Parts: sequence; structure tokens; C-alpha cells
Amino acid sequence: MTSVRLENVVKYYYPALGSAETKPTLGLDHVTLEIQDGETVSIVGPSGCGKSTLLKVIAGLEFPEEGRVFFNNVEVTHVSPQERGVGMVFQDYALYPGKQGSQNMSYFFEVHRRTEEEKQQRLRETAELMGIGFEVLMEREVDTLSGGEKQRVGIARCIVRDPTVFLMDEPISNLDAKLRERTRTEIKRLLKKFQITTIYVTHDQQEAIFMGDRIAVMRAGRIEQFGTFDDLYYSPANLFVASLIGTPPISILPAEVSGNTLQIAGTLSLTLPPTLAEKLPQGRLRLGLRPEAWSVQPEAGQGLTLPVTRIERLFTERAAFVYGQIAANTISALIPLDFPEVKQVSLQPDLERAYFFAAEGETVLHTPGIPELF
Amino acid sequence: MSLFPAVGRKDFRLRVSWFALQAFLWFGVFMHLVPFYIMMVTSITPADEAMSMPPKLWPSHPTLAAWNLVFRISDVAKSVLSQPLSRYFLNSLIMTFGTMFLSIPVTSLAAYASSKLIKGRVAKPLFIFFVGTLMLPGIVSLIPSFLLTRNFPFPLPVAPNIPGTDIPFPTLRIWNTYWAVILPAGFSAGNFLLFKGYFDSIPDSIINAARVDGGSEFNIFRRIILPMSIPVYAVVAYFEFGGAWESYLWPLVVIQDSKIAPLTLAIRRISDAFVATGTTNPQSALGAFAQMADLIAQGLSWNGLMVLGLLQALPVFIFFIIAREYLLKGVKIQGLK
Repeated sequence: MTSVRLENVVKYYYPALGSAETKPTLGLDHVTLEIQDGETVSIVGPSGCGKSTLLKVIAGLEFPEEGRVFFNNVEVTHVSPQERGVGMVFQDYALYPGKQGSQNMSYFFEVHRRTEEEKQQRLRETAELMGIGFEVLMEREVDTLSGGEKQRVGIARCIVRDPTVFLMDEPISNLDAKLRERTRTEIKRLLKKFQITTIYVTHDQQEAIFMGDRIAVMRAGRIEQFGTFDDLYYSPANLFVASLIGTPPISILPAEVSGNTLQIAGTLSLTLPPTLAEKLPQGRLRLGLRPEAWSVQPEAGQGLTLPVTRIERLFTERAAFVYGQIAANTISALIPLDFPEVKQVSLQPDLERAYFFAAEGETVLHTPGIPELF
Repeated sequence: MSLFPAVGRKDFRLRVSWFALQAFLWFGVFMHLVPFYIMMVTSITPADEAMSMPPKLWPSHPTLAAWNLVFRISDVAKSVLSQPLSRYFLNSLIMTFGTMFLSIPVTSLAAYASSKLIKGRVAKPLFIFFVGTLMLPGIVSLIPSFLLTRNFPFPLPVAPNIPGTDIPFPTLRIWNTYWAVILPAGFSAGNFLLFKGYFDSIPDSIINAARVDGGSEFNIFRRIILPMSIPVYAVVAYFEFGGAWESYLWPLVVIQDSKIAPLTLAIRRISDAFVATGTTNPQSALGAFAQMADLIAQGLSWNGLMVLGLLQALPVFIFFIIAREYLLKGVKIQGLK
């Protein structure tokens, strides 16, 4: 079992051969991260934010220019990937072509000169773990497998050797939606079973939420926030995290505080609760409201009037979302599933569940925090 | 066939153009086969008939005399070729396989390193260093290369003296040895590009996966990369074989001793002897050069040269047949013509 710690890791990227760019770019900007033993951490962020680089630094495939990496408090910053004992699953599967599934899984045992018996036993155990039909895949050449099958072999190749740390680099983004769902559940099941420290990189926040015990949000080589889903959802560190986490995303509206009144988008005036009135500065700011923080008003003219652009009904969740635009800001609100098709809807914001951001920049002024009854 | 689907073939204009295309392609095939046919037919033509004008498309008395004679060439034409034919053949094989066994590993490993292992600031200058030789025509470096084989590492006719003494620098002389042909071909910039192009197409993640699995860099190359690169190796091996087997100019420059001369030099020597005697008609040939007269009396003229030509071409042909499957795959991968 292994804990992983990164301290102030800095990684530069040099421009590729033939590109006009000559200055190195910052891939990782003083990243500090501590991952506990047996924990699954998702790293989420837009593409190019350095999340894959972070994974490579942990695997030893890239060495940082500054900072240190520890496994179990032992420094491994400059230890080669061959000696770190991590297992890695790749987005493009990265199976060894022209070989059978079982040969792919055997490579580790061959280069480590393990006995044939050990290899066979581990292959058998892994096949059992991977579930029904896996033995058939092991006998086929990997080039003949479908995407989902390839990734199953990829995962098996990773677990067959009992890795110290599991690293997953967008393992299911290349699969189609249905397969993605299934593989996601399967990976989750395996992770539960193994209790191995896992770092799961993805650009999909839902996947990150599903997989990770804790989630690290990255942007431009920096970790913006690291915490549980509730931390990220109810107490985002900045506007970026607030708008990244949550589907549909948080609705942001311009607002202005004067005295203890809050005027939203120039139309609706509300009285601020005393706690908020104390905390918020006077003047312009921005109000953030999650879809569940809106309540639909039965009569027109109460609250904000939202011209409806579309209603999305999620029959499996027994709920629907209404979408519309106010002052060029997209608003989404949770409504009952049987809500009629209307041209416009009156919405009342719940200020107890509101987020407040500075008028410019990404500074957070107030977040509702994790609700106590949940 | 796919050019003209069955649906449209009834259309008159399509039919005409289809036949026109067929005729054009068959003409191309024919033009390629004619010289080959002439070679084969001449090789079984008696010596004097092979020199008759106009040439005949089929000999009046086909004979294998030239084939027999060629294998005894050092007996019948000692003044032209001092060694038996098998000796030249062997020399060619040594040089060709020597070149291949040196050049392919060196070039492919360099390409692999340049493609997958060397990243960052040195990658670009290194790449330019490797392919820079492509920018010079080979003929430009012929003389310096020749001088290098005489006084390595000085591209000078005579090695300079050690400063302050009368003793010249010690030099390495590989001139007039097999090494003079093999070593300079040890790295090929063209093949380097072929290899690099292929290795570039292999995703880094495969190599990373193998690294994480614990494979050393060389083990990864040998166990993972090599098996998936067989087509490009076949393509390069074929080019390398053809190039080395048929090379003429460089061996001519660096090989003096006929004991180590390749087949191309031997054939050229006989051919030169013929041309020098003016063998366009039997009379002038007979009168001109007593030794050649001897040869022709033995039954060897153009027919013998054609036999030699066929023997020279044969190994490349055999090599193509062996590597055919991989070559076609490699051609698809590389998009070569």
C-alpha cells in the first residue's frame, strides 16, 4: 500500500521539433498534492491543463525540473519508471500490438524474470477477477479486439502485476457512451476490491465525481482545488471550480448590493438575510445559483421571469431542467418532470443556497457550504 | 477493374477508354520486359550469332555454351579476369551482407533514438545532423570519402606530420579492403528517414506502458518495437540489398585488388574489354585483340555478358520474392511507390 506526495512540482515543456515556438511552456506550476494510502483521487480539468503531465511525473515517465515526489515518504523524484512499480492504463489502450492478450499481460513477468508458475497463477487470478469472458480475450490477438475489450485487457495488464499505485489516464474516453458506463462501473468495482491508491485522470467531471474519493481540479498547470465532491460543489475555491463542477453548470448573474437589498440582473430586488448582508460588500458583484437553488413560482410576475429556450426532461431521474437566457447569461433550473411546456417561467432564487463572486475576476465572496442535512 | 465498375462498362465511350487504358498499361509492361527478353535470348545464342546485325529475336541454334563458359571464365579469359567467377560473387555477397548487417541496426537504432528517446532541446540539431548528408549529392563527397579511406581520419592524400616532429600522424587505412565498402555505408540518411517516419507513427504510450511494466529501453525495442516494425525493416533491407549489390562507382574507387572486387566490377571489366575491341562485327573483333579473339573462339561474346548480367540481377530478384509480403505491407504503411 502506498501513499503519494508531490511537493512543489514544476515541469517545463519544450516546443516540439519544427514548431515556431522557442520558449518552454510551464506544464506543471508548483503542484503540491498528497494522496493517501488506498484512496482514489480524480484529477479533472480542461485539456492541456497538465493533468496527464502530472500523471507522467508520478509514473516517472517525465522528471520534474523542480520539486519532489514521494511514495510512502520515500523520495522517488528521479527513480526510473521501471523501478517505481506503478501500473498505468492509457487512453489509447497502448497494448503491445501483434501479441495476444495474455502475452500483453506476461511482459511484466518476462522482464522481471519471474517463474512460469507465478506468471500462470497471476494470469489465472486476474482472469477470474476480470470476470466472465475474459479468458477468451486473453487468447486473441489484441489488434482484433474492440475498444472496450482492448481496455479490459489494458486494465488486466495493469492489475496482473500487483502495482503499488494505479494510474489511469482517461481510460474510458475513447469508448462509446454505453460501454463507457459499463467500463466505469467495472473499474470502480475493481478499485473497491483492491483498495489500491489510484489516480484517475479525466476531463469529464461526472466521471471524476463517480470515480474519486477526492477530486483535484486543475487548470493551466495548477491545482485549483483539491477535496471531496461536497467541498468542490458547495465551497468552490473560485469561479472556475464552481462552473466546472455540476451539471447543468451553475448560473451566473450580475447583481448589486445596496444596503441590505440585493438587486439581481437589474430587475429583481430581494432583501438579504442578515448573515449575508454583513458579509457581502456593497456594490456590484456576481451571483451564482445552482439549478436546485431556484424554485418555480406558480404565478407570473413573481421572481425572475425566464424566457424558456428548452426544457430537458430526464425520465430516469424523474426530474427536468429548464434553460433560458437572462441578460446574456444562461440560466438552468431544476423543475418537476411533469412541468408543462411554457414560453416563460417565473423563478425565485433561494439566497440560502446562493454563491457570491466578485464582479471581476474569480474571487469567491460567499459560498453556502456543505448543507448539514444531507 | 475498380476503375471501371461493371455497371458502366456497357457504355461505348467507357469501353473505349477502358481498352485504351489497358493497351497503355500493357505497352508499359511490354517495354519493361523487352530488355529482359533480349538478355535471356542472347544468353542462349552462340557467340558469333550474338554479334550479328540485325540482332535476332530467337537464335537459330540455342545453346547453353555461354552459361558453361561463364563459370570457367578465369580459365578462358585470364588476362581480363584473374579470379574465378565464384570469387567475385562471394565478394559481392560479403560486401552486401556486411553493409546490411552493419547499416540496418545502426540506422534503425539511431532513428529510434531520434524518434522516441531524445526529447527537448537537442532533438532538432541532432535530427539535422543525421539527415544533413541528404543535402549533398553523393558525388560531391566521393573524393574526400576516398581520401578518408586512405588516411582516416584525414581527408588528405598524405597524413600531416605531428606538429614539431617529422613523424606523420598515425592513420587508419581501410582502402582496398572489404571495410572500405562496408564502413562508409554504415549509416544511411535515407533509410534513417524511413525508419524515423515509421517509429514516429508508433504511439509513445506503448513505450510508456512497457516502461511502467519494467522493460529496459533495449528490451522494449527488442520485444515490443522490433516485432511490430518488420515491414519497414523489410523495405529497408530490400533497398539496402539492392543498393549494395549493384553498387559500382564506390567499389571502383576503393577496390584495387581483383581478389576482393565485387561482381559489378568484374562484369564491367569484361564489358570494357569487348567495347575496346570494337565487337560490333565479328571480323573487327577477331582482328583487333588476340585475347578477345580467343574468348570469342571459345564461344563467349555478348551472350556471356548477358549471362553475367542475369547472374547479377538474380539475387535482387530472389530477395524481392522473399521479402515480397512484407514489402507490400511496408509500401502500404510508408506510402512508397
